[in-house]
Amino acid sequence: MLLLPEGAKIIGQGITGSEGSTALPTMLDYGTKVMAGVTPRKGGQEILGLPVFNSVGEAKEVVGEIDGTVLYVPPLFVKGAAVEAIEAGVKFILIVTEKVPTKDESYIYALAKKNGISLVGPSSVGMICPSRKIKIGSIGGATPERAFIDGEVAIISKSGGMTSEIGIHLKNHGLGISWAVGIGGDRIIGTDFGDFLLALEDDPKTKASVIFGELGGTYEERVSILKKQGKIKKPVVAYIGGEFTERLPSDVQFGHAGAIIEGDRGKPDIKRQILKDAGVLVADDFDQIASLVKGAL
Amino acid sequence: MILYEYEGKKLLKDAGINIPNFQLIESSDLDSSGFALRMTGEVVLKAQVLSGKRADAGGIIVEDSIEGVASSLKDLFSKVINKEKVEKVLVEEKVDIAKEYYVSLSYDTDTRGPVLNISNKGGIGIEERGVKSFPVDPITQSVILSESEGSNLEILHGVYPRAKRRVQNDILEKLINLFFEQDCLLLEINPLVKTKNGWVALDAKIKLDDSAIKRHEEWQQYPPRAVPGYTPSDREIEAKKIDEEDYRGVAGSTYFDFDGDIAVLASGGGASLTAMDALFKIGGKPANYTEYSGNPPKEKVEKLTQIVLSKPNLNGLWVVGGVANFTDIYETLSGFLDALRKITSKPDYPIVIRRGGPRDEEAFEMLKKVKDFDLHLYGQETSIAESAKVIVDLAKEYAQRKNL
Repeated sequence: MLLLPEGAKIIGQGITGSEGSTALPTMLDYGTKVMAGVTPRKGGQEILGLPVFNSVGEAKEVVGEIDGTVLYVPPLFVKGAAVEAIEAGVKFILIVTEKVPTKDESYIYALAKKNGISLVGPSSVGMICPSRKIKIGSIGGATPERAFIDGEVAIISKSGGMTSEIGIHLKNHGLGISWAVGIGGDRIIGTDFGDFLLALEDDPKTKASVIFGELGGTYEERVSILKKQGKIKKPVVAYIGGEFTERLPSDVQFGHAGAIIEGDRGKPDIKRQILKDAGVLVADDFDQIASLVKGAL
Repeated sequence: MILYEYEGKKLLKDAGINIPNFQLIESSDLDSSGFALRMTGEVVLKAQVLSGKRADAGGIIVEDSIEGVASSLKDLFSKVINKEKVEKVLVEEKVDIAKEYYVSLSYDTDTRGPVLNISNKGGIGIEERGVKSFPVDPITQSVILSESEGSNLEILHGVYPRAKRRVQNDILEKLINLFFEQDCLLLEINPLVKTKNGWVALDAKIKLDDSAIKRHEEWQQYPPRAVPGYTPSDREIEAKKIDEEDYRGVAGSTYFDFDGDIAVLASGGGASLTAMDALFKIGGKPANYTEYSGNPPKEKVEKLTQIVLSKPNLNGLWVVGGVANFTDIYETLSGFLDALRKITSKPDYPIVIRRGGPRDEEAFEMLKKVKDFDLHLYGQETSIAESAKVIVDLAKEYAQRKNL
């Protein structure tokens, strides 16, 4: 299940590291039910009063069934940690770690798909739902309410920073959010715009969505296909960043691993056109997003 | 990182894939008396550059005499192909080709996994020919293929008697193994040729996944290289060094010079794209593009700021980012301020800062006390695009005052 229910029980793999231990109190403060940490060889320790176990299996034995796991493990250990979670029967995995090798990403994605698991990331800043008091990952930092107040608009963004930026923009215009998620800007991501939008079709709270795309890949293009097929009925507002990169040589990576134009693939102006043709409301300027959302509500 | 053909071919050879007999000649070999051709008969001279389409640029020459080879080598070493100076030439034995194919492995965002791309027709101009793509299962590392698909492709003919059977074709199996073992993002052989002695790879284009560098010590043998078809500026080269020396966060790994008058110090992958688009859209002329993100230490921001401000004829500086989730704004803007203080020719042009995130209040308190620079501070109540307008207007005024 991608849209976790209120009270969902979460564990944190690698949560004892520096980034994980910074994010953990912000998740707990928000009301997220983080039950335990998992770090190999640190079993028996505690972090913020939570027990730490050597493995996901051990954690489950003590705290019982869990609904999801958030991964803060180092890049080259992500594959092993994700496989461990899948084998232990965890149905929701959100990977915050950046710089995971593409080969490992494709392996994790294939395994998650085979096992019917919801996978968000890698390179996801996290996911937040104000009405369900769920905040998984670093999203919003220690002050999520600065950017995310309860409302009816979902935010799906390849960029972690822009997830908050859109939240603030909407808030400044009197709009709140139902869900916000950083899906990550890597080549291979577990949940793309389309997957999330499809899940939101059945979410009664969400009335419209804003997506932040950028150069590279075909995840934005898939939204236009799903929209044309009628599978996405709720209004979608899109902003696509990186048009200026078309002035520069191709085959250059801009920020995120997947933000790269290869041949003719991945150009922002083409993405915008394809989305427009499919009936997505495309914001030419970032600051137009809120008015497009209001027009669609 | 993209490998040169000769580097790629060494990997192919190590993987048991046949390549033509070859000799690598460096431009310095021609100066000394040490140059001797170890091959006889017809040879192919291939300029070692990263960009494609080198044949069109005269980068590939066939010769059949030692005199011809010597003169063509001179010719190739004097060439600049698509902005790359030719430093090395691969001399190869000419191979008798029975049939040419195109084979590549890459990652596809449509299938969200690796794909095998094949065409019956290899050679130049492959972009216009039919290439068929087949998903590769990253778990079993086998090609997912139905019988009907396979029967249309000569290269697979007779190789896939049943649907979804593991690859039995020796050459493809070796290529797939190499693709995964070497953490390739792209492994392209064009052409892969059939000869009377079996399969031979006549070319190799390999792109390695930089994210996997920590598990490939052997990659240290590959010297740093630029983007194909592009000559990096000194500032760009300096900016890229920042991350090489310190793994925490990212600063300067992407840097480009533009010919405008507004220096840009952006942060956040997506926010910096949004900022640059907004600046161009209102007619602002950036002097550069660069970006830091992922909570880098202040020393890295300081170094990057120094590089950004080293450009002559600036009329403004735009320090721009979104409202960060976990980047420490006090830390990173302290690094920025350290650089400002250290710079020898003190900037008197307007500096617009638009930023937010953890410890931003402390950061802005610190910056408000700064009186010896023309700082303009904006937080989350001002949008990125609005702050673009501010810096463009201020830079214009500054330029007018300067020219009076």
